Amino acid sequence: MQDLKAKERGAVTSPAPRPSLAQRIGRALTPLLWLGPALVLITVVVLWPVIEMVRTSLQKISSSGVTLGYRGGGNYTDLFGEDDLIPVVLRTLLWVGGIVIVTMVLSLALGQLLNARFPGRRVVRWAVIVPWAASVLMTALIWKWMLDNYSGIVNRVLLDLHLIDKPVNWLAHPTQAMFWMMWVAVFVSLPFTSFVILAGLQTIPGDVYEAARVDGAGHVRTYFGITLPLLRPAILIASIINVINVFNSFPIIWAMTGGGPGHKTDTTTTYMYKLAFYDQNVGESGAMAVVNFILILVMVLLYLRAARWREEVR
Amino acid sequence: MKRHLMGVVAAGLTVALGVSGCGKGSSSGGDSDGKTIKFVAAIYDDNTKPYWDALIKDFEAKNSGYKVNLEMVDWTQMDAKVKTYVQTKQVPDILNYNAFSDFARDGLIYKASEVLSPATLGDFTPTFVQQAQYNGTQYGLPFISSARLLFYNKDLFKKAGITDPPATWAEVKSGAEKVKKAGAIGYGLPLGPEESQAEFYSWAMNNGGGWVDASGKWAINQKANIDTLTFLKDLNKSGLTQPNPETTDRKTVFNQFAQGKVGMAIGGPFTKAGFIDPVNKDLNFGVAPLPSKSGSEHNTLGVMDVLAAFKKDDGKNKEAIKKFLDFFYQKENTSKFLTTEGFLPVTKSAGDALSADPYMKQFVDALPTSKFAPTSNPAWSAVAGAVKQDLGTAAANEDPKKVLDKIQETAEKAG
Repeated sequence: MQDLKAKERGAVTSPAPRPSLAQRIGRALTPLLWLGPALVLITVVVLWPVIEMVRTSLQKISSSGVTLGYRGGGNYTDLFGEDDLIPVVLRTLLWVGGIVIVTMVLSLALGQLLNARFPGRRVVRWAVIVPWAASVLMTALIWKWMLDNYSGIVNRVLLDLHLIDKPVNWLAHPTQAMFWMMWVAVFVSLPFTSFVILAGLQTIPGDVYEAARVDGAGHVRTYFGITLPLLRPAILIASIINVINVFNSFPIIWAMTGGGPGHKTDTTTTYMYKLAFYDQNVGESGAMAVVNFILILVMVLLYLRAARWREEVR
Repeated sequence: MKRHLMGVVAAGLTVALGVSGCGKGSSSGGDSDGKTIKFVAAIYDDNTKPYWDALIKDFEAKNSGYKVNLEMVDWTQMDAKVKTYVQTKQVPDILNYNAFSDFARDGLIYKASEVLSPATLGDFTPTFVQQAQYNGTQYGLPFISSARLLFYNKDLFKKAGITDPPATWAEVKSGAEKVKKAGAIGYGLPLGPEESQAEFYSWAMNNGGGWVDASGKWAINQKANIDTLTFLKDLNKSGLTQPNPETTDRKTVFNQFAQGKVGMAIGGPFTKAGFIDPVNKDLNFGVAPLPSKSGSEHNTLGVMDVLAAFKKDDGKNKEAIKKFLDFFYQKENTSKFLTTEGFLPVTKSAGDALSADPYMKQFVDALPTSKFAPTSNPAWSAVAGAVKQDLGTAAANEDPKKVLDKIQETAEKAG
């Protein structure tokens, strides 16, 4: 504030051509006034938690929650010594890759459908939003019960169709459990992704299609030659946000299998939770959080590189 | 324009304060008058909050000037909450929890003698005092206890042609086979992550096994335990349990038991009111001692929850805590809590009040022979956590010895 006043005073009283030191500092600091709030916000909600996370991963924290000082890389050594870590990380990559790819493919189709003109389009659009509005935890719990060994509807239907001859405990077998949980994750990611795609589709001007028609391009040719390339920014955004979301997705796995049996359906996110609250090792859990953070960063950067995002920014 | 800017700055600062927990809502300040205490209680069921509300109202009426702020926490949130309290230095004055020894080790809580009158201290049943000690001093304040016995379905047993509940492991197996032939699940084995440590210990202690050896050192991979786990695995592999014990929780087993689909399962005093009655009040079941391998001795698993009183404001809260605790431990107040929740007493005076109920009496009678998990060891929580995650897998596909070796390793690492 003082700098501002000094500047005003300077402007009124001394019309000297050479600005004084105070004036120059004042002028240099002015932009900070405008950027400041944003910087404070970013520091507080983005940087500070990251710093705190890294700090936790370097500390020794007793099982009751008391901080007992720095531990150096000890938490990381412990983490990398866990037999379960590598399978968990590989499973996480499969989890993220599988869900995001399936979601994107389905959303491209769904977006196209929602973009088409047909009677009742508005109702269908609303219907697609529903799984998004419902709580993820609720959706996961509902699916858990539908898959229940004793009273689940999935087993009932499959039994009635004579596809299986006795109830299957779906969520107790790692492979089947992963399949079902990934299905639920796709189900809850679809609405957002389809709407991003739909928004992208609506930015494509009609005359491009007209030109293509005049040139005699068929449907397939038009789709791959025009629609898909013009959708690239939308696909890029949708997949990055999905990667991060799915990576950090906790409620689905926690509600449906709790990462079990053992660690056979854990991803890094549930594993992190178990380290803190089952193994009572908050420090090691912090180390897992940092590793998770780096994994996401690397994945997103690799993806951006593969998608040659610079061309989009231009 | 400037005002607009200040608004944004103010908003930013508010967020900053909110995130770092320095807001007005914080209760950790040293401004306490020593007469207001915060009590964090665990939710056992729907009756818990009304009970505490009434008790606190009564307490405040009889002790003018003193106030108790109650916060109820669900058991599934409890561990995370407690860690947050400690890390952000916002511990409650009194906490209702299932562990205390790591608080004692870290110097966070009062000794029992500092916050209880001698009369209350002398009323605790000696078994529980022993369980509430850390390094020879009592820190934990025994709150409720529970014991485990074998529940069996009398109708299914009759249908299967079994006359008496099983006393040995061999009888458990043959009984389960007969029940299975009669069209039900022989034995309900919950080794999922909810409480596998209790289920496993109930079997292991009746084979001479346990968590620690005679000198108090971790002995999780001892031979008796491996044999126990192998027996349970064999029950599962012979198809005598429900499918997938490694992912089954206790409530699923008892839901099936209440529906008359399970022959035997291990339960506690709360099982009738909490699991069986809501589903099927007319279930014809019996309660028997836990079967042992040889059939000669029958140990019972004991479980105890505690209250812990945290040090705050240089001991200014001590007097208020003492007043409230002595009030709670009065015979009529304690026994009212026990009857509403279906738990067993930790004090002599309340024990007499409860023995009138024939169902409860079986459990009260089993208490003196009960064995407890080593909760006075600060590493126990980490061990229990490791057991919950991994033990069940040994009943399915993993090698029992390998799984127990791994848990032993965790135990030694935790201290």
